[in-house]
Amino acid sequence: MSYFFQLVVSGIVVGSIYALSALGFVLIYKSSRVLNIAHGQIIAAGAFITYALTVWVGIPIYIAFLASMVITFFLAMSVERVFLRRLIGEPIISVIMVTIGLMSILDGLIYLTPFGTENFSFPHFLPETPITFAGISVSWTQMVGVITTFAMIGGFSWFFKKSTLGISMRAVSDDQLASMSIGISVPRVFGLAWAMAGLSAAAAGAIIGNITGINFDTLHAFGIIVFPVVILGGLDSILGAVVAGIIMGLIQQFASGYLDGNWGLNGTGEVMPYIVLLVILLFKPHGLFGIHEIERV
Amino acid sequence: MSSNRWLATGNYFTSYKEEQRIFFTSLDRTAMALLLLCLFAWPLVVSVDNKYMLVIDNILVAVIAVMGLNLVTGFAGLISIGHAAFVGVGAYTIASFARVMGENHILLTHAWPLMILVAGCMGAIFGAIVGLPALRLKHLYLAIATLSFQMIFQWTINFMNFFNQGQTIAVSRVTWVTGQVTRSQHYTFWYYAILVFIVLCGFAVRNLLRTRYGRCLVAVRDNDRAADAMGMHPGFTKVYAFGLAGFLAGVAGALHAYLYRGVGIESFTLHHSISFLAMAIVGGLGTLHGSFWGPVAIKLLDLQVERLSEWVGNHLTIATNLATALKPLSFGLVIVLFLMFEPRGIANWWRIARSYVKLWPFRY
Repeated sequence: MSYFFQLVVSGIVVGSIYALSALGFVLIYKSSRVLNIAHGQIIAAGAFITYALTVWVGIPIYIAFLASMVITFFLAMSVERVFLRRLIGEPIISVIMVTIGLMSILDGLIYLTPFGTENFSFPHFLPETPITFAGISVSWTQMVGVITTFAMIGGFSWFFKKSTLGISMRAVSDDQLASMSIGISVPRVFGLAWAMAGLSAAAAGAIIGNITGINFDTLHAFGIIVFPVVILGGLDSILGAVVAGIIMGLIQQFASGYLDGNWGLNGTGEVMPYIVLLVILLFKPHGLFGIHEIERV
Repeated sequence: MSSNRWLATGNYFTSYKEEQRIFFTSLDRTAMALLLLCLFAWPLVVSVDNKYMLVIDNILVAVIAVMGLNLVTGFAGLISIGHAAFVGVGAYTIASFARVMGENHILLTHAWPLMILVAGCMGAIFGAIVGLPALRLKHLYLAIATLSFQMIFQWTINFMNFFNQGQTIAVSRVTWVTGQVTRSQHYTFWYYAILVFIVLCGFAVRNLLRTRYGRCLVAVRDNDRAADAMGMHPGFTKVYAFGLAGFLAGVAGALHAYLYRGVGIESFTLHHSISFLAMAIVGGLGTLHGSFWGPVAIKLLDLQVERLSEWVGNHLTIATNLATALKPLSFGLVIVLFLMFEPRGIANWWRIARSYVKLWPFRY
């Protein structure tokens, strides 16, 4: 039984990181209807910046964490300004393809830095003995990661519910023309959405980097693995991202915990989310919390 | 038609049937015939190194695959991020025949055109299955469905013993009327074989676009509600677009398997799917000859970048990472620049050049 609970706990840990990564997609999609496929690369950039600031520059890790969030904020904003601004109003294929091209460009730029090919790990700054309770153990980094994740998600939900800027972003997602006519600058909102996605990406990158170590391959894989999460949750719901992230984390952990090694199966954790995704697409296309905008054709 | 049929400066159609022709003018038809003649004749005149012949064959295989992708993405407007997986389905169909019957079985070596068609049908079946969500979904969600097929495909191949867990599965040399194709003839032989398939597929696609089924695709892309109102079934049209794309991808995959005399998972990864998409975009979405320009441009760019990074690596010792960085960087830049400045692709340049030559010496 403790094996089961251990799987539940690690599922929640993995799931909350998925939720934080998925948040970036949701923020961008919510306001501008763009699916940013290059999000994994931005997550990786966030992790690399944090590492460079702590280890190479020597700033304390908490400040480096905040500083990298600020840097990625402006990085993502400038990405939107340079590449996406021209494409407002273009067909959806072009927009998706630009983010795919962006993915490739960022890949190339990251390979130019020492981070592209090597493994790094953050210096330890938390107690190394894991927290153990009734046979279930959680490491401190995981604990802090989960808490940070939920704090950030809470912050974003508050931002969208209460603040003027958040409300104007919701207005733009509802109706661009109407919000333009009451004086909201739609391009600025798009830029802000990207910047906030960059913010959450940097946080996700730093947390993942702390838990699993910094490796470009694992980090940018998060950009792809998060698709099933956002689809399950509904593309434009923050709550959906959280719930779906945790569900996907649990599915993945249970699959690799119980299916691997039995019946000659291996690596099911990697493929299970996609199988679930295909089934969901067939039966509940708008996800758990997405709005019902998809008409049947 | 103008009085001199060789110097037509515009289209002077008097009947609907004239407008429906494959070749609008005699010049077009003659040029096409000459082009085909050149394509078939040049290996007889110029002898090419096997290394370069392989590159050319590779481009030709990509042309068939991109033709399929152009059908589904360019004409029907459905983004497919899993096209390499469909190509892989075709290749692995050949590989599994080799696995079950032994690689030297007479069906594989003698009846290879049949095998290629079987692989195409297999691709079509998988394409239609993956396209099934199209009955209920649009746009993005469909793109992600194809992405998940790509992932599931890679996992299946990597993990099943039957597929050698992604390691290379050998496919034997084929036999033609002159006997077994030897090592020195291999690439030239496949150049001809692939060229024949390209010509067949190209004419098939061109003809398809003149029929109601082809126009269905375009109508559904442009406005699926209007298409629905006109009596087409958008959902089935999309599924059928996926099926057609799968067929062409399957053919390309089978040709790939025979050309390399083996199948391995590393030729059918997500990266390849993305580069197929890039080829379709650079060539020009929604045009038939775009599917010829795109693979040529992207593959040649790849080759030149490789050469450049080799040169840089020889001269600068610090720039070891530069070689790995240049490839994705240039690739991504090409996609983004094309989308930002020439979303209609190289096909548009061709169109402009063509109309200039056609109208010369008049401006318009």
